[in-house]
Amino acid sequence: MRTLNALVSGVSLLAMLTATAASAETLADIEAAANKEGALTTIALPHDWWNYGEIIASFKAKYPQITVNELNPDAGSADEIEAIRANKDNTGPQAPDVIDVGLAFGPQAKQDGLIQPYKVSVWDDIPADIKDADGYWAGSYYGVMAFGVNTDIVQTVPTKWDDLLKSDYANAFALTGDPRASNQAILAILSAGLSRGAEPGEASGSKGLEFMAELNKAGSFVPVSGKSGTIAQGQTPIVAAWDYNLLSWRDQLAGNPPVEVVIPEGPVLAGVYVQAISAYAPHPNAAKLWMEHLFSNEGQNGYVKGYCHTARFNKMVAAGEVPKELLDALPPADAYSRAVFPSVDQQAANKEVVSGKWDEVVGAQVAE
Amino acid sequence: MNLKRIGSWAIFSFAVLYFLLPLVGTIEFSLRARRGVYSFDAYRSVLEDSQFQQTLAYSVILSIATVILGVLIVAPTAFWVRLKMPRLRPVVEFITLLPLVIPPIIIVFGYIRLFNTSSILPLTGSARGTDFLLAAGYATLALPYMYRAIDTGLRAIDVRTLTEAAQSLGAGWVTVLARVILPNIAVAILSGAFLTFAIVIGEYVIAALLNRPAFGPYMVWMGSNRAYEPAALAVIAFSMTWASMGVIQFLARRTRFTKV
Amino acid sequence: MSSLALHRLERSISLWLGVVPFFVFAFVFLILPTLHVVIGAFTRPDGGPTLANLSGLLSGPILSALWASLRISLWTAFLGTVAGLLVAGAVTRGGLPPALRDAVMTFSGVASNFAGVPLAFAFIATLGRLGLVTVLARDWLGINIYATGFNLTSFSGLTMAYLYFQIPLMVLIIAPALDGLRGEWREAAESLGASGAQYWRMVALPVLWPSLLGAFALLFANAFGAVATAMALTGSSLSILPIILFAQIRGDVLQDPHLGYAIAFAMIVLTGGANLIYIWLRVRAERWQK
Repeated sequence: MRTLNALVSGVSLLAMLTATAASAETLADIEAAANKEGALTTIALPHDWWNYGEIIASFKAKYPQITVNELNPDAGSADEIEAIRANKDNTGPQAPDVIDVGLAFGPQAKQDGLIQPYKVSVWDDIPADIKDADGYWAGSYYGVMAFGVNTDIVQTVPTKWDDLLKSDYANAFALTGDPRASNQAILAILSAGLSRGAEPGEASGSKGLEFMAELNKAGSFVPVSGKSGTIAQGQTPIVAAWDYNLLSWRDQLAGNPPVEVVIPEGPVLAGVYVQAISAYAPHPNAAKLWMEHLFSNEGQNGYVKGYCHTARFNKMVAAGEVPKELLDALPPADAYSRAVFPSVDQQAANKEVVSGKWDEVVGAQVAE
Repeated sequence: MNLKRIGSWAIFSFAVLYFLLPLVGTIEFSLRARRGVYSFDAYRSVLEDSQFQQTLAYSVILSIATVILGVLIVAPTAFWVRLKMPRLRPVVEFITLLPLVIPPIIIVFGYIRLFNTSSILPLTGSARGTDFLLAAGYATLALPYMYRAIDTGLRAIDVRTLTEAAQSLGAGWVTVLARVILPNIAVAILSGAFLTFAIVIGEYVIAALLNRPAFGPYMVWMGSNRAYEPAALAVIAFSMTWASMGVIQFLARRTRFTKV
Repeated sequence: MSSLALHRLERSISLWLGVVPFFVFAFVFLILPTLHVVIGAFTRPDGGPTLANLSGLLSGPILSALWASLRISLWTAFLGTVAGLLVAGAVTRGGLPPALRDAVMTFSGVASNFAGVPLAFAFIATLGRLGLVTVLARDWLGINIYATGFNLTSFSGLTMAYLYFQIPLMVLIIAPALDGLRGEWREAAESLGASGAQYWRMVALPVLWPSLLGAFALLFANAFGAVATAMALTGSSLSILPIILFAQIRGDVLQDPHLGYAIAFAMIVLTGGANLIYIWLRVRAERWQK
């Protein structure tokens, strides 16, 4: 039975690869093939984050023959990778076609053979340090780590990481997810490490964990996944998240309660998110269309509307392709000028320390 | 005597306070959507949300499917055991108690591993297949309640006489079940159905891990991502559960007076 | 085969036909998945038998999650048993108007099903940072609950939330048992000179203890398996066993799929064991209710 299964999946993988090579010639070909596939399965794309709601809507409008099946919007980067892995032999709607994961997860996915290469038509516009040379993954947008504060509950807004250790912030601070799975949480810890003077990489991972352990001991840390709802309802009045998320949430809550977005003093961490196509994607051509859409002007401006800086930002601004209102709404540029972009290796080293040692060093237990 | 009475009232008052406060708190919180003023904005936002409508519709349809599946599985069995194979009764009852013993998260873990596309029964390979798997999971969860409801209903009617009468008129087994027995235990089935509905509407773990757009995962998602709507959702969910239980009580009271 | 044997075979097949769908369904959708998980707990990735997965349970984070789950379940079961007994006692034999009993029983029926997600929201709305009770305590009584370090996701917060469905469940279970304490027994005891306390100690409690212990076991199992409430309150970072299993199934956060099987097995043993105790004790208790 096992050899038969292996044979079957081997043959279907071969068929998929040859199909990929054969049909990926022109955009029109891809579109025709994608329309025949008729569906696209995405994962971890909440509508309120990164303005994905509009980006997905514009994709659907462009390609009305493709139904978009959206899986778990709350998935973290590790959950997405696991979803590919768990659905290797599954061609049903549980198997994601495309993933949007943190930079550190790209090379790992490539190494595990979970993603397939595809270079979008505007490939050369994407800066070299945020894409894989062989085309397996490419960064589409980034932002910087900031604090979101519910000012109904927290009167003095913290301006730097070490402020959080003060007693005013008892039971107030949360990450946006499980540091063992969520890229945003792992990088928040990297940012904390940076604030302690460490270099990005293993040092930031250890120093960051140290900080979190102190935070936990001081009673400031709440082991809840912080999001707009929990900020507003009061379980997590202070959340460390990407500035674009915090700004969108602030808008969505519309002052009830008021949320202030603060980029902490000191080194500012920039986090890149990369797009990739699953090696076992049931709809590879629809996936390619989706990638083209994300990197097109329409897609990139969709991100900018969600307060992100995009991969092709500089090129598009220079060419005047970004509307002025969107540019004006973005966070102040000086924060971005001191942004630190950890390399893939540095992020990988940080991730290994954080997700491996979280339980030992911090392991947020049920408090008394 | 007096001390006992005072003590009882004290305990009762504490209980009322503990149980009523969260309900009051939820309603109050759900009215706070507009700053400084009480309003139904949160409810309006929820009821107009297309995700709410879709996931609620999905869960309602799924609960109907679950009830049908449950009745089809349980009714013939309960009938048969009562009529022909009373020795099987302890075995059947033990099986119907298993879903209360095994946590649902374990059952769905088994489903994911067993029914993926590399198995004989590749249910998770398609949306409809996964929906069926979800219904099967819900039917399993509801099995104890369905069985008890139908068994109680069968106990109240004289199964043997009814069957023999129908058979003497030339009815086959299917006819006996469908046209003689089922209508007589309709009220019992309805009770089981409403309980199943209450279970399915609120269920989270199975639907979340099978990645289906059901009401439970929708509520959890709202809880993280919206401020006041989750409280409104809780009020709506609680009202639905209360209404279901109310119907069950009403039906139970009716049978007491219509038993022959 | 002779025609008589054939006929007998036909009859026994048709005899079993009625129950075959049930057994097939139960086997495919209930027993087989559970067995798969249990066997998985004892197998290595390559298929050979092993106890290593189980010993992985005793490692740091899982062990503390197990311990946290045990503590919460035992504590809420104990508190639920005591509080539920008091409420049921007050309503059945405490001299309160009989209409209250019906109301309490109906409410308990609904409230014991009010677990999961809506309950978490209700508690956030009541005891959360901006909840009604928190705000009232601050505005009317000048007490800041949160300054004392209280948090809904702490042990005490979770206990309060869990008790909301534990106490009604206890009331539902124990009320029939309390009804079963016949008045004649009390009269007989008093006529023999027993005081109220002696009656309780030597007559009522011995009769009640199977129900009480059984209810405790059921409440324990109920709390141990409760995933949805805790998840709705905290997301997937809280360190209790069902949440770790959930995170493991969904995202392989422990980076070892067979560890998931081991955790599942531990849960089955604990909740299954507790439920079996409850069932056994209930059968014993029902002798007194005939």
